[in-house]
Amino acid sequence: MKFSLTVLLFASLAFAQDNSAHNGMMQIGKKIYEKTCISCHGVDGETASQMELVVKPRQLNKSILSEKQMFYIVKFGAHTYGAHADIMPTFKYVYDDTQIASVVHYVSQKFNKNRDQRVAQLLSDSRELSLKEKEDMLQVGKKIFHKKCGMCHGDRGNGESQYVEQSKADENFIYPYNLQKILLSEDQIFLFAKYGGHFWGTAKNDMPSWKRKYDDVKLKSTAHYIYQKIKKPL
Amino acid sequence: MKKILLAALLSIASLYGADHIIDQKGKTFIPHEVTVKVGDTLTFLNSDPFAHNAYTDDEANEFDIGMQPPGTKKTVTIKSVGKFDVECAIHPNMLLEVTVTK
Repeated sequence: MKFSLTVLLFASLAFAQDNSAHNGMMQIGKKIYEKTCISCHGVDGETASQMELVVKPRQLNKSILSEKQMFYIVKFGAHTYGAHADIMPTFKYVYDDTQIASVVHYVSQKFNKNRDQRVAQLLSDSRELSLKEKEDMLQVGKKIFHKKCGMCHGDRGNGESQYVEQSKADENFIYPYNLQKILLSEDQIFLFAKYGGHFWGTAKNDMPSWKRKYDDVKLKSTAHYIYQKIKKPL
Repeated sequence: MKKILLAALLSIASLYGADHIIDQKGKTFIPHEVTVKVGDTLTFLNSDPFAHNAYTDDEANEFDIGMQPPGTKKTVTIKSVGKFDVECAIHPNMLLEVTVTK
């Protein structure tokens, strides 16, 4: 439902490549960004240094998210998509869809214009799976998920685990995502797991990089398992 | 008499082996490498405010201490000569290199 509501809007985002629409959205987006977003995300899309928040806001200039994914996060809040409740709030009561699309377009164009190219390059640099490896993806991914990912994200991937129970007394603890609700594509899950959250703009103590421990085949298999078996349809 | 007592104490101590303290702090094993003897023990402290899970896949010395809450300690006994790595199941960049001699 949420997706169908904004299909038209993203048709207009595509249309925003047209200069006048683009310029209009950039102007609206800039105003909203400077009024609302800047206090957490900073003047250049990096975390504002004066903020004393437990979970540091995302560095938007490193984000892995597409414009469309960012739209949903801004509109419905990060907790709707698996984050712990006290992170990015819901803005649907503050701004309408056009305004949200505009600020997302502004952020994307202003701070993270090379995202698509960066993501495509990293995927292209990764190891291509053989036919046999592709056949084994679910099996390999399942094993790694329950051995490693489940320790923090829980065996069902819902963010509830013994690790959380034993660690949440720490006031700086960063809760693992509920993977059942995430917005990421399979490729994005792979890149997030391979390079770690900090590479993609999260706080330093967030999701670690697994590239030293697992090769591309194993990480792609794990991402495949999460996407197919853990993540719920949106 | 004193010499006999001392010899007895030393022989009892040698039966148990030495204990090596490994702290887990700032998502790092401290020290990050250790040389031990068969029969010695590794005691893992958790000085971080969150849980850890030290383990090794080494066949001869396999252990997995499980989820370890902050402020606790867990001990394992070294069984075989060789070299192996200890990792944390939650924090993949933590690495402890263990060398075991006779």
